[in-house]
Order: sequence, then C-alpha cells, then structure tokens
Amino acid sequence: MNWALFKSFVNADRVVRLSVAFLFAVVAPSWLAGQEYHVDVEQENLVRFVSDAPIEDFDGVTQRIDGFLVLPQGNLGVTELSASEFYFEVDIASLDTGIGLRNRHMRDNYLETDEFPYATFAGRVVRIDEEPSGRFRALTKGVFAVHGVEREREVECTADRAGRSLRISCAFQVKLSDHNIPIPRLMFLKINEVMELELDFFLAPAGGGERR
Amino acid sequence: MLCELSGRSLVTAALALVLCLSSVAAQDRPQWERRTEATEAPLAAFHATRVISLPTAETLAGGEWQFEISHRFLPALSEGSDALWGLDGPVNMRLGLGYAPTNRLLVTFARSNFMDNWDLQLKFRALGVEAGGVPILVAFLGGAAWSTDVPGRDAGDAGNRQYYGQLILNTVVADRVALGLVPSYLYNVLLDEIDPVQDFYLGVYGQVFLTNVLSVNAEWTIGENRAELSSDAGAVGIELETGGHFFKIFLTNSVRLNPSQYLVGTDFPFEADELRLGFAITRLLRF
Repeated sequence: MNWALFKSFVNADRVVRLSVAFLFAVVAPSWLAGQEYHVDVEQENLVRFVSDAPIEDFDGVTQRIDGFLVLPQGNLGVTELSASEFYFEVDIASLDTGIGLRNRHMRDNYLETDEFPYATFAGRVVRIDEEPSGRFRALTKGVFAVHGVEREREVECTADRAGRSLRISCAFQVKLSDHNIPIPRLMFLKINEVMELELDFFLAPAGGGERR
Repeated sequence: MLCELSGRSLVTAALALVLCLSSVAAQDRPQWERRTEATEAPLAAFHATRVISLPTAETLAGGEWQFEISHRFLPALSEGSDALWGLDGPVNMRLGLGYAPTNRLLVTFARSNFMDNWDLQLKFRALGVEAGGVPILVAFLGGAAWSTDVPGRDAGDAGNRQYYGQLILNTVVADRVALGLVPSYLYNVLLDEIDPVQDFYLGVYGQVFLTNVLSVNAEWTIGENRAELSSDAGAVGIELETGGHFFKIFLTNSVRLNPSQYLVGTDFPFEADELRLGFAITRLLRF
C-alpha cells in the first residue's frame, strides 16, 4: 500500500467525519425533542465508583439510580436547550463494595447516608451533538450534591438509541474533600481522594408519549 | 390542549382561564416522582463477629470469608521486660476461617494449639428488630470441638469430643454502647472426667465506640463447674477496625481460645499480676 496515499485517505476521512459531526451538531436530532424521559428502573442500570488504594483498588456498585430528563420542543440547539431540565439521584446506601463491613464504613463513617441518602445531579443540557455513528454527545451543566455539599459541575455524557429508549453513559471524577468527605483509611494507608464515578443507565419516554 | 373561553359570565371566563393556565403549568412540570424509598442500613449492634472470645450476633455478608488469627501470650504482663511483658512467648494461638453462605449464616472452622483443639461452629442470625428505637439482635450458635492432644488419651477417644450451644442477645444503648448476653451450654465440660459433665454459663460483654472505628470492649464468662480452674475468664481491650479488618489487643486472665475451652474458666484470677496480653486480627475476603 502507498503509505502517503493511505495517510491522506485517513486524513480526508477525518475531515469528512468532523464535517458531518458539525452538520449534525447544527441540525438537531429532532426525534429526541419534546420528550420527558425517566430512568427505566427495570433495566440493568449501573452506577459505579472506583477507588484507587495503595494495596488494592476497590469499587462500589448499585443499580439504584432514578430521575428524569426533559428536552424541549424544537431543534435542540444551544438556545432551545436552555429550557431543558434533568434530575438524577443515586441511592448511595445501596452501594455495594463487595465487603459488608466496608459498606458499613462507607455508609456510617464517610457518606453518612442516614442524613444524606442520595447523591444528586440536577441541571440542564447545554449542548447535544450527534456523531455519524448515531451516538449523541451531550454536555450537561448542573449541581452535583453528595454528603450534603453541592458543587457546580459540567459533565459530558453519551447517549445511544436503544429502541425508544436512550442508553446514557457518563464518567467524571469526584474529589472527596470538595464534599467534606473524610478520606477513608484502609490498613492505615490513605486511599486516593479522587474517586472515578461511572454511570451507565437507560432512559425511557415517560408515559409512553411526547410532551405537548 | 385547547382552551376555550366559552362561559357567559365574567366569573366563568376567569375560572376557565385559571383552570387552563394551571393545566399548562402542570404539563410543564416533570411528571417524574420518586418510586422507592432510600435503602435502609441493616440493624446492627456490634461490628465484629466476636467481641474478644465471646460471639456477637453479627455474621458476614453472604459470600464473604473471614480469616482470623489470635494469640494469648502465656507469660504474665507482670513478668516485665525479662519476658518482654509476655511477648517473648510461648503463646496459645487460634487460627480460624469462616464462610458466610448467606447473610444470616456463618460457618467457622478453627484450631487452637491448646490441646490441639479443632472447632467447627455454625452461627445463625435469627432476628433483628427495633423496639422503641432500641435494636435487638438475636443469634444462635452451635458447635462441636475435638481435642486431639489430651494427655493420656488417644486422639480419637470419644471423651475428647465436646458440643456447645449459645444464645446471643445484643443491643445498643445511648447510641455508642453495645451490650450482649450469651447464655451458653457445654457438653463434656472437663475432658479428664470419665463420665461427661454438662454445664451452663453466662457470657456478658460490652463495647463502647469512642469513634466510628475505635472502641474499647470487655467481656466476662460466669461459670460454676470448673474443677481445678479457679476463675471466670475475663478480658478488657481496645478494637480498631478498617473497612476489612479488625485489630484487637487486650488484657485477659485466660489463655484458652476456643469456645469449649474458654467457657469453662481459667487457672488465673483476674488480678493485675495475672493478666496476659492477647491480640486478634481478622481479615474479610471475597473471592
């Protein structure tokens, strides 16, 4: 194969893909619009945090996420999206780290779930871009709250069409000290104070219909 | 939705307008409502499955394993630096491995080098209720022990076998003080008797949680039928827990570790000169 030709082909392809992405970013994915979506709690939703510790990494998982997303009518451009709204909550006492005693420590000593049972993220969608693959890339902005401490956050998520539903994936980092969560000690060694948070869940149109 | 002002009177028209506007407002509000309540943490009094030697009503989460190692240093603390306050040894020790097939059941297999005692026990967490804001936890424990190194006996001698049962009652007072009672039954109390003797004992213990991870604890086993063993067994110590471990260090007048052994009593009175150091470390595992 002619290497130079191959490279030019790849570059040309990238240009085309970026152009198409730009085109779709401007032309709104109209079928999304004018809908209220609820978390489909019957699906295998997953919320997971990963903690980096000196001896062993551990993670905590739960299926218990709920909430809604409202997308306004129209082209879903930046202007229209200012009327969007979402609220998601995770039942954090249900997080399972695989060790019962560690769950208790997490609940009682660090997250104080009796007092603050939910981690929440509420805000609006700032931008939705559709990629040629059909995947949507969304920038969201809102208030993330855990342990009773609220922080403004921007979070990027992707959405894939799954029948009439959307499969949402997001990943972002949470700095424990930002939320007044003392850094857990494990075998006297501190774990990393930045937790990786991953969400993978399904949204289904509410009531099976569009908002009028 | 189509709103029509069809009323004849002004009042009717105003009412229709209000209804129409409220209907629009209702549509703009998200329809979502929370479907389930937040998860409630399970009731608990103690955190570990044992206080020092006596069992608590705690089991493990289903699928978890627990490895434990425990020592009783034979020289008394009062022997001072010559015996490194007992740490020079020798020691009696216990190695144990527990497995929880379910959240309520814990099977533990352990061995103590004192009389080479093998111990198999089953703990069942039967009940956890809250009465007037006070948690009450109840568990049953049954076990069998086999001492394979009894002086003057073959290892397989039927007289080397012991059986025991314990009822475990736990509660919490004043938020940070956990208390427990353990009425216990032991069959074949004194291995050196020709005819097996059975007896009842009462274990009492408490634990004060100074912080969420640091606590002080104490236990005492009241008994009668102990032949040459002169005293009840008692211990007082501190406990530190991480998310997967317990570290316990304590002073005790007993150097017997397995249930069929510590229940019966001890050679040493609970006096300053006779106290020994002991420790226990447990580690929770999931494969």
